[in-house]
This record gives sequence, structure tokens and C-alpha cells, in this order.
Amino acid sequence: MARTSRLRHEGKRTVKSKAKSKARPKSKAALDPITFSVILNRFNTIANEMTLTMEKTAWTSVIALARDFSCAIYDAKARQICMMDALPIHTNSLHVVLQEIARVFGDDIHDGDVIACNHAYSGNTHIGDFVTACPVFHKGKHMFWTVTKGHQLDVGAFVPSSVPAPAENIWQEGLQLPPIKFYDKGKRCDDVIRMYIANMRWQEWLNGDLMAQLGSIWNGRRRLVEFAEEYGNDEIERYSEGILDYADKRMSEEIRAMPDGDYDGVSWLDSNGKGGTNIQIGARVSIRGDKVHIDFSNSAPQVPSANNSSYGVMQAAAGIPILCSIDPTIPHNDGCLRHITADAPVGSVCNAAYPASTALATVGPGDTMQEAVWKALAHAVPERVLGGNGKDGNLPMLSGTDSRSGVDIEWGCLFFNGGPAGGATSKADGWPLIMTSAGMGGLKILSVELCELLYPMRIDRQEIAADSMGHGKYHGGPGVDVKMTPTSGAMLCELFGEGQSNPPFGAMNGTPGIGGGSYRENIRSGKRIYYSSKGRMVIEDGEFWAGISSGGGGYGDPLQRDPEAVLESLIGGFLSLKSTREVYGVVVDAKTMALNIEKTKALRKKLRAARKSKAITTPNVPGYATWVKKSLRSGDEYLIDAQ
Amino acid sequence: MRHILGVDIGGTFTDFALIDDAGEINLWKEATTPADPGIAIRDGLAALAETRGLEIRQLIESLDLFVHGQTIATNTVIQRNGPKTGLLCTEGFRDVLYFRDGFKPDRYNVSLPREKDFIRRDLRLPVTERIDYRGDVLQKLDEKSVREAVKVFKKHGVESVAVALLWSIVNPSHEQKVKKIVAKQLPGVPVVLSSDVLPMIREWERTSSTVLSAYILPGISEYTINLEKYLAANGFGHNLLVMQLNGGTATLAQLLKRPIYALASGPAAGPSAGLYCAERMKVNNVITIDMGGTSFDVCMVTDGHPALTQDMRIHDNPVGVSAIEVHSIGAGGGSIAWIDKGGALQVGPQSAGAEPGPACYELGGDQPTVTDVNVVLGYINPDYFLGGRRAINAEASARAIDKVIAKPLGLTTEQAADGIFRIVNTNMVNAIRVVSVEKGIDPRGYNLVVGGGAGPIHAGSLGRELGMAQAIIPRFGGVFCSYGMIVSDVRLDLVRAFASNTAALDLARINKIFSELEGEAIAELKSQGFPRSRIEIRRFADAKYSNQIHELTIPLPSRGKIKKSDIGDIAEEFHGLHERMFSYCVRESEVDLFHWRITALGKLPDTEARVFKRTRKPVSEAQKGTRPVYSSEAGKFKKTKIYDGDLLQHGMTVVGPAVIEQENMTVVVLGKQTLKINRYGDFVLAIN
Repeated sequence: MARTSRLRHEGKRTVKSKAKSKARPKSKAALDPITFSVILNRFNTIANEMTLTMEKTAWTSVIALARDFSCAIYDAKARQICMMDALPIHTNSLHVVLQEIARVFGDDIHDGDVIACNHAYSGNTHIGDFVTACPVFHKGKHMFWTVTKGHQLDVGAFVPSSVPAPAENIWQEGLQLPPIKFYDKGKRCDDVIRMYIANMRWQEWLNGDLMAQLGSIWNGRRRLVEFAEEYGNDEIERYSEGILDYADKRMSEEIRAMPDGDYDGVSWLDSNGKGGTNIQIGARVSIRGDKVHIDFSNSAPQVPSANNSSYGVMQAAAGIPILCSIDPTIPHNDGCLRHITADAPVGSVCNAAYPASTALATVGPGDTMQEAVWKALAHAVPERVLGGNGKDGNLPMLSGTDSRSGVDIEWGCLFFNGGPAGGATSKADGWPLIMTSAGMGGLKILSVELCELLYPMRIDRQEIAADSMGHGKYHGGPGVDVKMTPTSGAMLCELFGEGQSNPPFGAMNGTPGIGGGSYRENIRSGKRIYYSSKGRMVIEDGEFWAGISSGGGGYGDPLQRDPEAVLESLIGGFLSLKSTREVYGVVVDAKTMALNIEKTKALRKKLRAARKSKAITTPNVPGYATWVKKSLRSGDEYLIDAQ
Repeated sequence: MRHILGVDIGGTFTDFALIDDAGEINLWKEATTPADPGIAIRDGLAALAETRGLEIRQLIESLDLFVHGQTIATNTVIQRNGPKTGLLCTEGFRDVLYFRDGFKPDRYNVSLPREKDFIRRDLRLPVTERIDYRGDVLQKLDEKSVREAVKVFKKHGVESVAVALLWSIVNPSHEQKVKKIVAKQLPGVPVVLSSDVLPMIREWERTSSTVLSAYILPGISEYTINLEKYLAANGFGHNLLVMQLNGGTATLAQLLKRPIYALASGPAAGPSAGLYCAERMKVNNVITIDMGGTSFDVCMVTDGHPALTQDMRIHDNPVGVSAIEVHSIGAGGGSIAWIDKGGALQVGPQSAGAEPGPACYELGGDQPTVTDVNVVLGYINPDYFLGGRRAINAEASARAIDKVIAKPLGLTTEQAADGIFRIVNTNMVNAIRVVSVEKGIDPRGYNLVVGGGAGPIHAGSLGRELGMAQAIIPRFGGVFCSYGMIVSDVRLDLVRAFASNTAALDLARINKIFSELEGEAIAELKSQGFPRSRIEIRRFADAKYSNQIHELTIPLPSRGKIKKSDIGDIAEEFHGLHERMFSYCVRESEVDLFHWRITALGKLPDTEARVFKRTRKPVSEAQKGTRPVYSSEAGKFKKTKIYDGDLLQHGMTVVGPAVIEQENMTVVVLGKQTLKINRYGDFVLAIN
């Protein structure tokens, strides 16, 4: 891939299309810089208050602890003004679903409305993401939308999971909600809400999360109305426009600093969800002047399971790596987003055609599309990219019956604690527990103690896994070695992960992460059954579930890593003595743990001489991971897409 | 004559505020003595005694209250120069500190560096044991595993040990046993237990709080214990009180058990000091700023309530307990000016501290500091620094500025000095914006209350840049936080866990819990000399809807027993708070109550404030003379009036440009600004 992309790049290099962006008419009065900052930050504060409302009042751990939701503020034209601490896959596509909501209801949008939607074919990300949008009026004028998207614990699918990997179409995914009013001019649509809740598992919990989500958008509305009262509609609109222009201008400068050209990257999904492996996703990133276009034409047709992308996810997945390659202090709003466009053929795995299921869109397909874009960017702006993030793996949906109190209580939990890590960059090692590029570190793990209090499980181990990360001048974050035992009868475990046979890539001579995997083990016999990244298992009484998640991809040549830093990783147990020597060329006395500088120099020289050509990204072939193969013992089984 | 005394050890100066029962105030500053902070305290006591015409022992005997705060603990964690610390944790969970809550703060900064953990992974060692959520022992503590771990600690020379085991909050027996074993094998090494420091669910927050505690404990225990002994030996009849990060004080014994409360304890007194002067002027929205030698601290006070945070972090490590929200940056008189790799002029965060101090001290410091700049620009009078106690050399200041900044940048000395002055001001303005503008609060609706020896030199410039109308500069501004300490109440926060629900509230049990907690608190405060009439108890509970996960703290009826007829009000308290905070509530739902809390306050007697009569004298009577002072706007030195702060009286108005000199602080009044003296003797600056 590297070769073709460079050729294409050079071929286009002469094309200079640095079109000047249209000069915007200057507003009559200049913006006062202090007022500008106050208003910009007030939006942030309001979005933050929406976020806290959702987090602090929700009833399920996926919202209240793991924070799998996003809150954002849009103007009346459905342009993003502000988001805080939110998940990139949500906030970079919320405008798509909001525009559809606005289109569907047209002039039937009123003060007091709440419009819900979870329908991927209405611009939503995937069915698990439930959108509530509240138009904000002041002095009779529609000024804003407050929007919250929360990942629901359940969607009424044919299996107890809101990310049902085996779903073959939207009817198996669960209850589809195209834009629909939950409140109409302030009046609660009880019939609609009853119908919604009636289709869900864990109804009491889901109802609690619905209240939290409504509270979040209402709190945003309340604060925005106060804000408009304080500054007046005109002033707020003038400054809002200024905030978008400000981001637009800075984004423009950033993209112009990237070399014009076409760049390609390819990645693979582990499977089609039905046993077929290595599904290609190809991205071409075209940079022209201050615009970027991403084209996913070089991708496989849609698959017969839920492992397809929706239109909304495709838009977000294309843009996130671009936004991560620019100055992070630029406010992330419509001013940035308007510089990025994306496309993929309808009916491809990146843009599935109705009625295909897209229930996994945000994670497997979204993560893999982002990876393909990153790999393409490595040819354009190598100093700005990262080694691959671990794709969402070892994050099972668990459920069962909790009889600990003497009363049977049905429970379900999205378990994030064994999540994979982030990739390294040209400046820093990767972070652990990035979980998925959809969240980019915005998802949290669950406190072990809270987990054991809330659910019938015991966590026996939760530590870093040595050598699980990609190596490099900077190494990826480490994966997690997790072991968990059910404590009240059997537990159902739905795996909907990704990236275990196609691990996170290494960049600029960095190496890939391990991919990782998970298994259940019979405590008495010791027999293990390994599962591919997707699959359904029952962890019976007398069994436990364990796994090692992938570390992130490395960046740069491991032989350039500071030997002292290598030693520190060795002493800390991040690296084994073997990889210290063989990958990093660092010689340490196993007994005294003393660094031998002379021998290190000599070994590094030898390794460097034996080194093959430079690799911009590794791997560029599918099915690269070997963790499962290495881990399988005689008598163990390995199941692909088990159902 | 009886006295009360506040002593605040800062990074550069140790400040003293002594008040007698007639309201007469004596302020004093000593250079901090980092090797043994007690030296500066004893020297300061000697100086204050002399001022009062007393022997040291007579002064100490006359003290009704001795409150002490410090920034030593904060500096230890910020500079990471604490002792080598080890952590013992439950086997399988060595990475609780490293994993944190899995959250990465900035989604779009892929190169965000990760702060290192306070304990290296090879000193985070497992012990074999397991307790479950009910407190039942699943696996008995394997004492051999503790001894093995301690062997490693010994080999590495570990000087302080934290112990944080899973579920120690419901069954602390394993932690307690571990402590005994460690104490035996590592005599003299302190051991801090998570079940003592923060007995609340969530292992990361609890572990972090315990590790920070173990990290700061050795640095504060030795000198404070010695200080307490010294005071006792010299006739002090009470407990030494120490300032805590929650804005109240505690006894030393309490603090040493929960050292986390010693973090940022000095700056936590700032809001009390600021409020004390603002409220008597009927002002209750203020931003307090305190610029000392090393750091600049900011706190928002809205409607008379200092901002509190439950989420205070040190390098991403949660502190875990409720704290006064003070934002600090490295900007003070000792902040060093330097030129970065890109050729840009920078100021701080490095500080020359007390030793070697600014170049003008001529104690070996050759780097230009903000104090040097203030000397060169004529704001500080070289002959009257600390009231003339510290000889400083203005030429040494000019030399340092020339050599390090002016020459390399091709500027004149004055231009370089003015540049440094403006940059440090910008840094401070940004710090004020962090707590106000960045939270969506417009600082223009607030008054500045200015403290610190250097604060009032810069206040007029900061306020002008932020568009603020008025700054209050207390007469004791030079020793701001030490003053705040003596107007802060003694505070004891206690908590106990017991699950109950408004549908079937176990009143007998809850009243028993409160009676025990209150008994403990009252006994403690009485032993410190507070009569029952000066002890105030406030009750709280952590409440949530049954299936919610997070809780809100609500106030409970705090007098007498909680009765059945109170239950409706308690539920309504929660519904109402939930609605105010989150825009909705569910009145038909019952309410779960879990942690039961009390805050016990030992109320100090109101400090008598002296009220001055309006003078008819003209302000010229307070004028000492004139000297050339640099005007940033004019770009040159201008002849400027100099006033003696001690002679300025209620009723006088100083018109800028002017400089006011007082022993412990200097006030700069810029052109077009005016300064009045109010009836309490404080300076009130109209900023313009």
C-alpha cells in the first residue's frame, strides 16, 4: 500500500488547488475578546452541566460509570457549537441525525418538544445510541438544540445486548425509532414512551436512564435560556457565528499545512460475523487546500451480520483522525467539521444498504475505518499520526440473574475493565484503556468494588499484560489481563469485539499490538474454550472468563527508544527480558537489573544492520495476530463467531 | 492580654498574624527555612514577642489559639521530592493507580503525556488476601506474602508505606494486620491505611488518597510534632491546630492520621481571609488572589461561599476528600525570568525561593526574578524591603536583568523589566480566567481581594486587564493566609456507612449512629477547650434514587433526634436538590440513604475588628516623598508620590500614580486609579 500511495501522492503533487476560502462578511461591530471567551466558555460549561446530569443521575453503569454518552449544543441550523468531554464517534456525526430530525419535523418543531431517534437509516450511528434532541426557544425564536446521545443497555434485540453481533437485519437489531416525539409542546407522549419501554429488557433501569437523558437536555435548555436572557438573542448569535468562524479559520490553517495529495490506507475487519474472515476496508484521503475528502470505495460489500457501518458512523470515522491530527486546542465545532467530507458506496461494509444491520457500526467498522484513515495519513503527515488504537475487544455484554439477596433480579452490564489500549505517537507512549477509537479514551472502567456490589461477579485479576503492546521509539499502551468469575449462577456473555486477528498497526517502524483474545475456563478440568472477537458464550457455575486485550501500536524504531526508558519498562513488568533484548536491543543483567550501555550499543548496531526496509505501517496484510495460536494448549478449543 | 496567632509556611516566607483581644494586629514575615521549618517559626515568635515587649514564653502562654498551615505538602507532591513510597495492594490489582478510571482527559490530543504514578510499579506489591463486598473473608491474609513484599521495600529503602486493599471499607482487619507486620519489620517507617484515610467505596480514589497521604506524611510530621512539643514546653495550654484543605482547622493528631487534609492547607485559608474583609463591606462575590514568593493562588467566592470541589487532583491523582478549590500557578516575587529555546521571554514557574532568592538579595542568586523587576521599575523601595529588615541591592537586580534578558534580546534594562512585569501579569490574568471565565462566570461582577507581599503591586494591572471595578487590599494583605487561619473555625468531618431507605428508615439505628459520631466530635472539641455552646453540628446524608449509582449529599435536621415526621422533609430535600441540580426529580420514588455524615465546627469567638474614625487630615500628611517610578503606558519613569501605608487613615484618598509602602507589602496605584481607606483601615482600589 505504501508504494502505490506514494506514487499517487507524487502524481498529484503538481496539482495546486489552494483555493482561498471565501472571505466572510465582517460583522458590523468587532467582537470583544473578553466577551468572546466568556461566551465560548459558557457554552462549554453548559455542555459540561448536561454531561454531569447524565452521568450523575443515570441508573445503569454503562452511562453512570463508563460514560458511554455524549452531550452537545447545536444552533438552530443544526450546526455544532460545542461539545465537552464527549465521545468523538457521537459528536462528529450528531449533526447528521439532527439534520434528519429537523427535516422530518420541518415546521412542526416547538418549544417543549423532545424528539428521539435511534434509527441508523435516519443518520444515527447505530441502534444502541439513543438520541434525544430538545429545541431551545427564547423570546419565541428557535435558538439552539440541546442534544444527548446515550448508549442504552438494551434495545429490545433478539439477544440481550444493544450491540447484537449476530443480527442480520434491522428487525433483529431491536426496536427501531425513526425521529419520533417523546414530548410535544411540553406534553409527555405517554403512549409513545410506554411503547418504547415495553420493548426493552431491564425496564426500570432503562426508564431511569431515559429520565437522566431528558434531564440532561432540559438542564441544557434551562441554562441556554438564562444565557440568552443575559446577553440577548442577537448578541449570542453574533458571537456563536464568531466562534464557528474562529474554529474554521484555525482549521483552515491546519489543513493547508498538510501536503496536498491522495493517500491510501487499508485495514481489515476480523470477520463478517458469520465465520468469513478478514473483510477489507480501504480509505483514500484526498487533501486539497483547506479541505479533506475521504473515500471508502476500496472496501468490501456489506456483510450478513451487524458488522457494517452506518452512514453517520462513516462520516464520523472519516473525520476523527483528521481532527486528532490538528492542534487540539481548536474548538471542535461545525467550523472544523465543514472542512471534512466523506463518502462510501451504498451497499458497502462502510455504508450498508437498508435493511442491513449496522448494530456494531461505531466499534468494529468505525474503529477499522478510522484505522484505514490513520494509515493513509501516515503517508501524508507521518509526524502527526499514532500507532493503531486497540479496537474494541474484550468488552463483553454480560447478563444473568442475581440471586444474592434471596430475590431473583435480572441484571445486565457492559463490562469495560478488560479493554484495549491506545497507540503511541511521535511524542508519547500510548495510554491504557482507550477501549475503542470511537471513544478515544472517553470511556471509563468500572470500579472493581462497585462492580462486585452491583453485579454477581468477582474480579480476580485486573493488571497490565506484559509485552501486549506494539513496540517502538514510543510504545503503545499495555493491554489488560483480566479474570472474572460469576458468583450467582451462570452468566451470559455476548462478545462484539474487533481487532483480535487484525491487531492495531505499528507506525514508522513501530510494531503492532498483540490483538489478544479471551476464553472461558473450567476451574476443575482447566479446559479452555477460546473465542474470536465476536461470539456468544455462557460462563457456567464453576467456570471463569479471562482474557488479554491488545496493547496499542508502537511508533518509531524501537532501537531508538531511550535505553533507560526500556529498563524502566522492564523493571515495571511492561516488557519481558526477551523483548527488551530482541526488540529494543537493550542488554540488561537479569540478576542485578543493571543496564549495560556498551553491549546495548553493539547489539543495536547489529540489529540495525539486519533490519529490512522502513515500514510506514505494519501490518499491511490481514490476519496478522498470533496471540490465540500461541495461547492454545492441547485440548483447548477455538471458536469463530460462536452462536 | 490574650492573643491568637496564625502562622503560614509558604515556599518563600513564613507569615505571622498576631491579634490581641483588643483587635490590635501585629504582622510579621520570616524567610522560610526548608531544612527545618520550625526554625523560622521560633524566630518569628521571638520577633513578635519583642514587638509586644514580652518574653517568648510569656507570649506563648498568652496564646488562646495557635493555627498553623503550610504549603510543604503541596510542594512535595508538585515537585515530587517526597520519600520513596511503597504500596501494598490486593493480589491481582497492582495497577489500580496506573489504570485510574480508564479516562484520558483530552480526546483529540493523541500525544497527551501521562503523568507518572507516585509509586513505581516495582514498589506496588501484592499481598495475598481477599475480602468480598459483604466484608466476608474469601481468602485469609497470607502473612508470608506481606513479609516478602516488605523485604523488597527494605532492599529499595522505602521510607513510607501505603496500604490499600479491596473492600477494607467494610472489613479493615486485613489492612490492620498488614500494618502490624510492616511496623515490626520496618520500624520507624510510617504506614498509612486506606480504611483510615478515606473509608469510602471505589478503590482508585481511596488508593490514590492513601498513596498521597503516605507520600506527604514524613515531610510534615517531624517538624510539626517538634513544634507541638516546643509550644507545650513553653507553656502553651492548648492543642496546636493545623489548617486543612477543607477550609477548617484540626488538631495535629487528627491530621497525622489523615495526612491528605494537609495538602494545600495554607492557600485554603485565603477565602476565609478574603471573606472576612469583604463581608464587612457588604461584598460577597469576590475572587481572592494571593501572590507570595513562589506561587499565585486564586479562589472564587460566590454569595459568600468559597468554591468547593469534590474532584481535586494532583497530577491526575484524586485527593478524594472535599476541598476548597484553589487554583495555583508558579508566579510570585521569586519567579525567575528566562528565555526559552524559541527566543521567547518566559516567567516562572521556577522560583528562586528564599534561598538563594532574587538577585537583589545577593545571596548567590544571579537569575532575574519578579522582585528584581519590581525593584528596577521603582515599585519596591530597596531601602524599605520587609520594612528595611532585608538589605537589597537594586544594582544587582539590574545586572541580572541585563545579563539574562535585556542583552540577549537587545532591549534596555527598563524595557526588559517592563516585559517581564507584563508577562507575569498575563500569567496571573490567565489563572484568574481559569476559575471564572472558563467556568462561564464573568469576573467583572466580582471584587478582587488581594493578598501576599507582592500581590498589591500587580493588582491594579490585573484588575484593569480583566475589566474589574474594585480591589480590596486588606491591611493584613501581606500575610493573607496566616490571617485567614485565625478566622477559620475548627472543623471535623466524620462519616459512617449504613444502607437505609425512606420507605423503611431505621430511625433507631440512624439516631444511634449520629449520637456516636456527635459524641466523638463533641468530646474532641471540648478537649480543645470549646464549650458546648460554641460547637455547631451539621448532619448530612448521601442520597440517591434506589437504582441510581451516584449520590448527592443532602443536609438533615441537625437538632435532636431524627423523627418519623422528618422523613418526608428528608425525601423532599433530596427531590428538591436533584431538581435544582439536574432539572428534574421523581417525587413518587423512594430515596436510598447510605453515608451518614457530620461536620462539627468549633466556632471561634468573633475577632474584634477595630473601626477607625474618619480623619480630616489631608492625604499629604501620609506622603513620604517622591521617586521615579516606571509607567508602562508612558514607557518611561515618572516622578511619583510615595505614601507611608501606616499613616494612611480612614477618609483619605490616594490618587494614582502612587506607591504605598508598608512593612509587609507594597501597593501600586496606577494612573487614573484612586485608592480609599475604609473604616476598617483596608485599602479599596477603584481600578478604572
